[in-house]
Amino acid sequence: MATVLIPSPLRSLCAGAATLEVAGATLGEVLRAIDSRCPGFYERAVDAGQVRPELSIALNGHAFRYGLTEPIAPNDEVTIVPAIGGG
Amino acid sequence: MTTTEKPDYKVIGTRPIRPDGVEKVTGKALYGADIHLPDLAHGAVLRSPHAHARIVSIDTSAAEAMPGVLAVVTHKDLPVVADKVLDMGEGASTASDMSKNVLAADKALYRGHAIAGVAATNVHDALTALEAIKVEYEVLSPVLNVQDAMRDDAPLLDEGRHTRTPSGEESENASNVAAHNRFEGGDVEAAYAEADVVVEREFDTKMVHQGYIEPHNGTANWNSDGTLTVWTSTQGAFAVRGALAELLQLPVSRIRVIPMEIGGGFGGKIGVYLEPVAALLSRKSGRPVQLTMDRTDVFQATGPTSGGHMKGKLAVKDGKITAAEVSLAFEAGAFPGSPVMAGAMCMLSPYEVENFKVDAYDVVVNKPKVAAYRAPGAPNASFCVEQLIDELARETGVDPLQFRLNNSASEGSRMITGVAHPRIGQEETVQAAQASDHYNSPIEGPNRGRGVAGGFWFNAGMQSSVVASVNPDGTVNLIEGSTDIGGTRASLAMQLAETLGIEYDSVRPTVVDTDSVGHNDVTGGSRTAYASGQAVYEAGLDIQQQMVARAAQLWECEAEDVEYADGALRHTSDSEKTMTFAELAGKQMETGGPLQGRGSVVARSPGAAFGVHVVDVEVDPDTGKVDILRYTIAQDVGTAVHPAYVEGQMQGGVVQGIGWALNEEYYYGEDGRMENASFLDYRMPTSLDLPMIDTIIVEVPNPGHPFGVRGVGEVPIVPPLAAIANAVHDATGHRFTELPISPRRVVEELHNLQ
Repeated sequence: MATVLIPSPLRSLCAGAATLEVAGATLGEVLRAIDSRCPGFYERAVDAGQVRPELSIALNGHAFRYGLTEPIAPNDEVTIVPAIGGG
Repeated sequence: MTTTEKPDYKVIGTRPIRPDGVEKVTGKALYGADIHLPDLAHGAVLRSPHAHARIVSIDTSAAEAMPGVLAVVTHKDLPVVADKVLDMGEGASTASDMSKNVLAADKALYRGHAIAGVAATNVHDALTALEAIKVEYEVLSPVLNVQDAMRDDAPLLDEGRHTRTPSGEESENASNVAAHNRFEGGDVEAAYAEADVVVEREFDTKMVHQGYIEPHNGTANWNSDGTLTVWTSTQGAFAVRGALAELLQLPVSRIRVIPMEIGGGFGGKIGVYLEPVAALLSRKSGRPVQLTMDRTDVFQATGPTSGGHMKGKLAVKDGKITAAEVSLAFEAGAFPGSPVMAGAMCMLSPYEVENFKVDAYDVVVNKPKVAAYRAPGAPNASFCVEQLIDELARETGVDPLQFRLNNSASEGSRMITGVAHPRIGQEETVQAAQASDHYNSPIEGPNRGRGVAGGFWFNAGMQSSVVASVNPDGTVNLIEGSTDIGGTRASLAMQLAETLGIEYDSVRPTVVDTDSVGHNDVTGGSRTAYASGQAVYEAGLDIQQQMVARAAQLWECEAEDVEYADGALRHTSDSEKTMTFAELAGKQMETGGPLQGRGSVVARSPGAAFGVHVVDVEVDPDTGKVDILRYTIAQDVGTAVHPAYVEGQMQGGVVQGIGWALNEEYYYGEDGRMENASFLDYRMPTSLDLPMIDTIIVEVPNPGHPFGVRGVGEVPIVPPLAAIANAVHDATGHRFTELPISPRRVVEELHNLQ
């Protein structure tokens, strides 16, 4: 099971939960698994088959715009964070 | 220099001359306004004289009939675009907003907002024609700061805009607050109740500009075959291409963007302003069209960074920061997209803070749409937090650097997003500042004080691709697509030379257009030396691999029997069989043809940057002038590829931070007119205002890069605002919570003249 850290701005979709343990072999499957427990979550995170551009995914501490097919290992830590840009 | 153990590099860590240096110092380098094409038409842009007005009508007929005028365009000439989010690599904006910013639609939202474009046979005719365009405005009240914009009765920039939250909720009433995010962890109220000391203050910063020397420009040629060629000054040719494709509804493959040399960007040259207008004018006139801005246009119509209002409350218990509650409201300008989220996520990241509540408000106001500016959002937010930390240190009687060290984040510490830090150099950077000659020298004399502050920036990775072609004489041409704004031609060539084991001078780097190399994201986010460096490393490995195969072919052995090291190939069991890189480069035709290495990466582990600054000031209590006496910056750079350019980035960030702290501000009249839209009145620091800025390069290698590189360009602008405010407090006993700490403000504060 991957550990998913739900950032506080998105916790209202998950009844206030800060972390969830979900199964999934890919990032897309993990997000779908969250959605099954927190309806509407997938739609807030994904648009047109990609993680929304205003969001970023941190996988084991490394934030990046991962694709939905990114493999997720059972002990991975997945965090959904707002995307940022630099100058 | 503080250095952890690192490999014995041959090229990395040296200070060679930059490849583009001679052309630039001899005036031969070509910038956007140097482009001269056959039949080139010159354009001009009509800009709104009002900060907030409904556009009732635009009549261009008289202008179109004037001699020399070739075309006139308005927003109606732009295709209708969907409300699609465009990722420009510096934050997201919608295509619809971008389109309305390029040429105003139904409303002018800031003074200087582009209303119409004209192309003529010469610029004088174009400027004259602007006067003949009749625009009927219904003038509206402007909102010029976040406090006013957030009032329930504030005039609305967009009656259809509601406050959005990340979970998809929308406010019932229309609002100038485009977005609200909250990060929350632990229990701040319980921490306050148990705290030894709690400090609380409000802070204000003003909108400031990146201040690049070269104004924006764009030249477009809409060819008769339907393709579009654009020459421009940009940090991201591919970002410009993508934006043009969306705004003009063209396939990406039909647009070629040629990045010219760039006279500074600092984040402000990622978006598009003139390029789409020049393209429309070119299509309409059938001629190439060039548009350039003057300084007033640059100030009034291109992205500065946000001013804003901040409230902070921090608590300490037994020397540890136990709670932080911070509310940030940042000006986005005319359209949503301030860097408030980045500020929110950066300001506490150097420290371990278990209990926090952070609110971030993105607020539209009648000012130009903000753009990225060096660590966007972080300097403002750190101005708030780093002053409160200074107060906590003072209140508890702990040295301010030791206080920061006692609270420093380290590997595994979680940021407010929940993401854990990987290996970082925060503690080493604080320790380097503590050990500096500066910090260990006394500061003496009246009206003098010392301040310190820390800063954090994420750094970015994203996409890069390069091609390296091996020449028969053993030199290599490196083809890259990252605009060089900070010496990256040199730092990339050095990384390729290091990978191949050849001399730096054997690599010739060239920045090419969007048709000539694979996709490259913007030169921004401090990503190029890191991410494009990784692509260069991959290209070098590709060449190595091919050379090993060719040597094996020549020596009639297996590839496993050949090793590549130090720029030479050797048979592992036959010492007679060796070849230099250059020798094998000369045998390309007989071993399979041209040798090309390719590197294409999505870089995922940029490695965050931390900086700690120490500054001494002297304050003249009569004139209010603040002199910077001494400045030292310590920064974790991972590995300094070219230490001179790293030091230049560190010093440059400090200089911009000093200007932001002491003098720079967009000064508005009540009508929304910027009253200091020239370098004469917008006071940036010059060499006469500055001491030598001492640099301490800390090298905690980034495990996510083959040479340990971290981005260096942005974090040095984060601490100066607070460090200087802390120093001024040390000198005067007065806490300055509003920027700039200008002579007027200092005199008013010291003499109770508000």
